[in-house]
Amino acid sequence: MSFEFMAPLMFGGLVVFLLLGYPVAFSLAATGLFFGLVGMELGMLHPSLLQALPERVLGIMANSTLLAIPFFTFMGLILERTGMAEDLLDTIGQVFGSIRGGIAYAVVFVGALLAATTGVVAASVLAMGLISLPVMMRYGYSKQLASGVIAASGTLAQIIPPSLVLIVLADQMGASVGDLYEGALIPGLGLAALYAAWVLVVSFVRPEAAPGCPPESRTLYGGALIVKVFTSMIPPLVLIFLVLGTIFLGVATPTEGGAMGASGAIVMALVKRKLSWNLLKQAVESTANMTSFVMFILVGSTVFSLVFRGVNGDLWVEHLLSDLPGGALGFLIVVNVMIFLLAFFLDYFEIAFIMVPLLAPVAQKLGIDLIWFGVLLAVNMQTSFLHPPFGFALFYLRSVAPKNIKTTDIYWGAVPFVLIQVLMVAVVLQFPGIVTSHISKAAGAISGSGADEIRRQLEAPESPASTPGGADETSKPNEGKGDAKSEIERMLNQQQ
Amino acid sequence: MNALLRLSALIDAANERIGKIAAWAGLLAVIVCTVNAIFRYTVNMSSNAWLEIQWYFNAVMFLLVAAWALKRNDHVRIDVIGGKLSRRTQAWIDILGGLFALLPAALIIAWYSLPSLVNSYQISEYSSDPGGLIRWPVRLLIPVAFSLLALQGVSEIIKRVAFLRGAIPFPGEHARPEGV
Repeated sequence: MSFEFMAPLMFGGLVVFLLLGYPVAFSLAATGLFFGLVGMELGMLHPSLLQALPERVLGIMANSTLLAIPFFTFMGLILERTGMAEDLLDTIGQVFGSIRGGIAYAVVFVGALLAATTGVVAASVLAMGLISLPVMMRYGYSKQLASGVIAASGTLAQIIPPSLVLIVLADQMGASVGDLYEGALIPGLGLAALYAAWVLVVSFVRPEAAPGCPPESRTLYGGALIVKVFTSMIPPLVLIFLVLGTIFLGVATPTEGGAMGASGAIVMALVKRKLSWNLLKQAVESTANMTSFVMFILVGSTVFSLVFRGVNGDLWVEHLLSDLPGGALGFLIVVNVMIFLLAFFLDYFEIAFIMVPLLAPVAQKLGIDLIWFGVLLAVNMQTSFLHPPFGFALFYLRSVAPKNIKTTDIYWGAVPFVLIQVLMVAVVLQFPGIVTSHISKAAGAISGSGADEIRRQLEAPESPASTPGGADETSKPNEGKGDAKSEIERMLNQQQ
Repeated sequence: MNALLRLSALIDAANERIGKIAAWAGLLAVIVCTVNAIFRYTVNMSSNAWLEIQWYFNAVMFLLVAAWALKRNDHVRIDVIGGKLSRRTQAWIDILGGLFALLPAALIIAWYSLPSLVNSYQISEYSSDPGGLIRWPVRLLIPVAFSLLALQGVSEIIKRVAFLRGAIPFPGEHARPEGV
């Protein structure tokens, strides 16, 4: 007897559950367990399936990649309070202020710098909304351009490494975080450039929407300004080196980079005398709460995918998606349209945890480079922050924007930037080289050779749970680096 | 109802205290990981025990904070439709969800984790890496965390029933943690 109806039923059940507004983590876990019990009752699933659960949870706990999530969150929360963003915005604003659209360029530039340090969208949007928005209003910028450029530049944190989304994606696809970081760098910086280009276009077509500031708005000139530029640029540049430099040079794993960045942020806050007991406590508690909900969604989605694979759901999805006309390209287009539409309703964690484990194996079977696929999805998911009416960047901006900026201004302001992101998705789709060409195999192998990375690989055969994405397929995506890995294993075995 | 509300307040207070203490394990993980990384690259020293303590700390943090996060209503929901429903309907969804989703799921996971915990304790299982740590303490975290979560689930159900009976104001105000 066949139970082909189980997988679609399960997926449908999950959608209904989620739409009711029950917490995502528990909806996933409960749907998984319910169908798991039904499957066992029908004799379709073996009772030992659920006994694998604790090992899976342990696998998530022991996953060294995911350890980077609290580290980067903590770093972002500490930095938010040290006034680094304020310093930067003020100084860069003085440099660019007097040219047409100058403050908008400053926002894009600072947005990219903040993105490369923290990877936390909320912090960037709040800081820029609080500081730059009033200035832009004072000098007569169009409300839509001002709010759009702030929200969009804030979301750069999500695509420019060290972004949390890329960590989650790498984990779900079984790819290396370092490779994904390198792959996302050019598309991320490209987006920043396109935002700036859009400001340029607006300042020519509608000069009144993006005026230059009058000369009297400047308080610093000549030498003093140069000194201020250097002093305000030092902290972010040091952090960027500590985190990204060490990761790209292959000196540190992303997890270690995150820890060093977090420690660096604490030291910086101490030096600036901004670190109070209260601030530290708030940062620690917020980090714990946020990490907890992310990890619990992951636990929930692990339960779900364990049973979903048990009822052959992966085969069902593969069947649906691999029979699309146009082969790999057809698959990519359908997937991107689907993610774009889902992004109106879901945010990136939900997409990454629910959709990516279903999509990655299919992509791999179609011969699609997983790093490229991941970056493509990450650029696409970035729109989920800017989609009216549920984009989080828009919410954050609304919460700090002055009353005279209407919510519709914020929504309409975001539209051109969503279109720019869609353009970027098309560019990445058309020219995979901008993602893959500069990822050096060597750097990948080195960054994958950190001690805990090695341990994870060695542990893998004993506890398949260490790749929470699920069954055997997920261990294959690393095939490109398979040689390096077995090399490392051989070396270690010889040592022992 | 009053006795139940007192029970609920007791659970809330206990889980909040546990969560606030466990949260600091996250800072410990940051410090340990930084020191590990520095040691590895400066004096080329590393120890599996210290590498493992990183994720032990992280696990303490995210598992033991979960119940408190539930109390703070921090767990993400999709409020496309749910957010538009009346508060009474939302309370009903949370009650039914608690009874038929959260409680069974948390208890099943806690229950299934017991045999491996007992086994791990009896054979005093160690990490498979040389110099690794003893395993049962982290295995113990799983049933403890999911039991605390189930308790918090009971408390949330009590509060929503009390709300439906007009005893307390709506407990499910939406809070999303900063920094997402």
